Amino acid sequence: MNRLHPRVRRLWAAQALLLAAVVAVAVFVAGRVVFDGRIPAGTPLAVFAVLALAGVVHAALRYRVWRYEIRDDAIYLERGVVTRVRTVVPFVRIQHVDSSRGPIERVVGLASVVVYTAGSRGADVTVPGLAPDGADDLRERLKRLAIRAEGEDAV
Amino acid sequence: MNLSPLTVPYRILQRGASVAVAAAVAVASGASALVGAIGGVAVAVVLVGVAVLALVGYELARYRRYEYELTADTFDIRSGVFARRNREIPLRRIQNVDIRRGVVQRLLGIAAVDFETAGGSETEAAIRYVSFEEAKRLQGEIRRLKRGAATAGEEAAEESELLFSLSNGDLLLVGAFAFDLRVPGILLFLFSGVGSVLAPYLPDSGGLVVLLGGVAAIAVGVALVSWIVGALAAIVNYYGFRLTRVGDELQYERGLFQRYDGSIPLDKVQTLTVTDDPLKRHFGYATLAVETAGYTPGQGQGQGQQSASVIPLASRDRVFALANDVEAFGTPEFERPPKRVRRRYAVRYGLALAVLAGALYGVEAFLAAGIPWYVPLSAAPLVPVAAHAKWKHRGYWLGDSHVVTRNGVLKRRTKVVPYYRIQTVIDSRTAFQRRWRVATVTADTAGSLSVAGHDAAAVDVDAETATRLRETLSDRLRTALAARKRATENGDPSPATADGGGDG
Repeated sequence: MNRLHPRVRRLWAAQALLLAAVVAVAVFVAGRVVFDGRIPAGTPLAVFAVLALAGVVHAALRYRVWRYEIRDDAIYLERGVVTRVRTVVPFVRIQHVDSSRGPIERVVGLASVVVYTAGSRGADVTVPGLAPDGADDLRERLKRLAIRAEGEDAV
Repeated sequence: MNLSPLTVPYRILQRGASVAVAAAVAVASGASALVGAIGGVAVAVVLVGVAVLALVGYELARYRRYEYELTADTFDIRSGVFARRNREIPLRRIQNVDIRRGVVQRLLGIAAVDFETAGGSETEAAIRYVSFEEAKRLQGEIRRLKRGAATAGEEAAEESELLFSLSNGDLLLVGAFAFDLRVPGILLFLFSGVGSVLAPYLPDSGGLVVLLGGVAAIAVGVALVSWIVGALAAIVNYYGFRLTRVGDELQYERGLFQRYDGSIPLDKVQTLTVTDDPLKRHFGYATLAVETAGYTPGQGQGQGQQSASVIPLASRDRVFALANDVEAFGTPEFERPPKRVRRRYAVRYGLALAVLAGALYGVEAFLAAGIPWYVPLSAAPLVPVAAHAKWKHRGYWLGDSHVVTRNGVLKRRTKVVPYYRIQTVIDSRTAFQRRWRVATVTADTAGSLSVAGHDAAAVDVDAETATRLRETLSDRLRTALAARKRATENGDPSPATADGGGDG
């Protein structure tokens, strides 16, 4: 079973901090405009602190749970802190594979791979927290495996 | 080939009527302010005349520049007055050919034809309009050509077999069963809310009795009306329903005013869904629906999902026999979730009641409006019954070549998924499910009803069973695909394997 790159915790923590900051600013603005300064001055900061802490803890837990594995005939993923989700995506079902790098991912120096199927629910599966070279390798490997598996009946 | 010439006058009348009225009103009112009433009318007449001429010209041009052609392996359409468009659709990709005729269209003998493929949610090609005979010819020709050039032209070899039809008596039954048990429940809930708000304005003497009586009367009345409306809709929808099997396709026709003629290729079927509710279960009836990728037959043009059924209503045995005709899955013997999940459901329902009562109590404490906040608690004796029912109607079964799942009490769905149609297998366990050592295993397919969240899923199975089930499903997918591939390579002409199938 492969684990993600440990730096992915920083990525998720950064995303959580960003979200917390946005919410805190919203609370600050709402406090000024809607409630006319009647809520305590420290509220936005408290909101930020709670969300940021929750986000950082969640990032750490998420990293501990995340696993993926390239098996003989399928890619297997295990993830989720509150709801634990285990997904099996057979190679024959892979429609196409992307590797992608978002802005924060580029800062942290990570990349992700997205696997698409024709399914209606688990239609795209993302493996985050890969080293950039690792992501490209994984993408190529999955591509070759998908071609070899030859989805003769993809839908 | 060209469209039916009747298309021109039909479309002119259809589109012209609304345009002309709107233009006349707008122009007459606007111009009369400038040049007086009589002048305004004159201007309106002239402008409407110009608009009508333009419309006639456009429709004539559209008719003259619209051409379609059926070649050995594609269906080509060249169309467009100003912007030209040439479209070629590979026949193998066409999933359904649907013919639709409204009342006026039936009088004129013309029909609208829609071609559906797996890609996207939109209709791939829509022909407006050809004669009904031509529409049927296209449907049949596409079916024959899809089976391959070798068999093309062997019209005589295609036997058509009537699988199911609705007599007028059956139709009335369909209407009677159109009653959805959830409707009165929702209405009761809504009206109880209204009642609580009205409570302070009602007379004090015996207010509660009057209130409850009123709520009950309103609920029954509205439920009755919604039932009648539902019944009429079902009758209009399914009048003259016939399901036939032609070669390797199912064909259905239905409708009182608007007639539908659709085709469902059997080798594109993703999932079968047998639906029933307590009423239908009691009388031994059920409904069957068929899903193909990205599209459910009969669903177009604002039709609800209920009209997607292939069998609107038949006895349970009949429905399962017909379903087995489409996908031979056998007789499922469902494995129920472990008994402990009944306690889980009981806890869940109990908590829901408590929360509801608590919320009402909170409102009461705040408003002091005399709301009977304790009423939800009177449903407490029903909790174990409901929990047991939920457990009883859940289950899954692994057949030789299909997985069958069953969920729901008020609307019970039995879903049949061939192993080779599984896309991904998802095993999910919420924090609560982990506490009860249970899990949900979902077999995702490329079907379309599942977008609404009703996937084939074994819900609340034991955690170890779930792990095993997950591996079994993905193993069986692999073996089923390998078997199909071998069959194709050996030149097995069975229709289920003849087509390369899916979408890239």
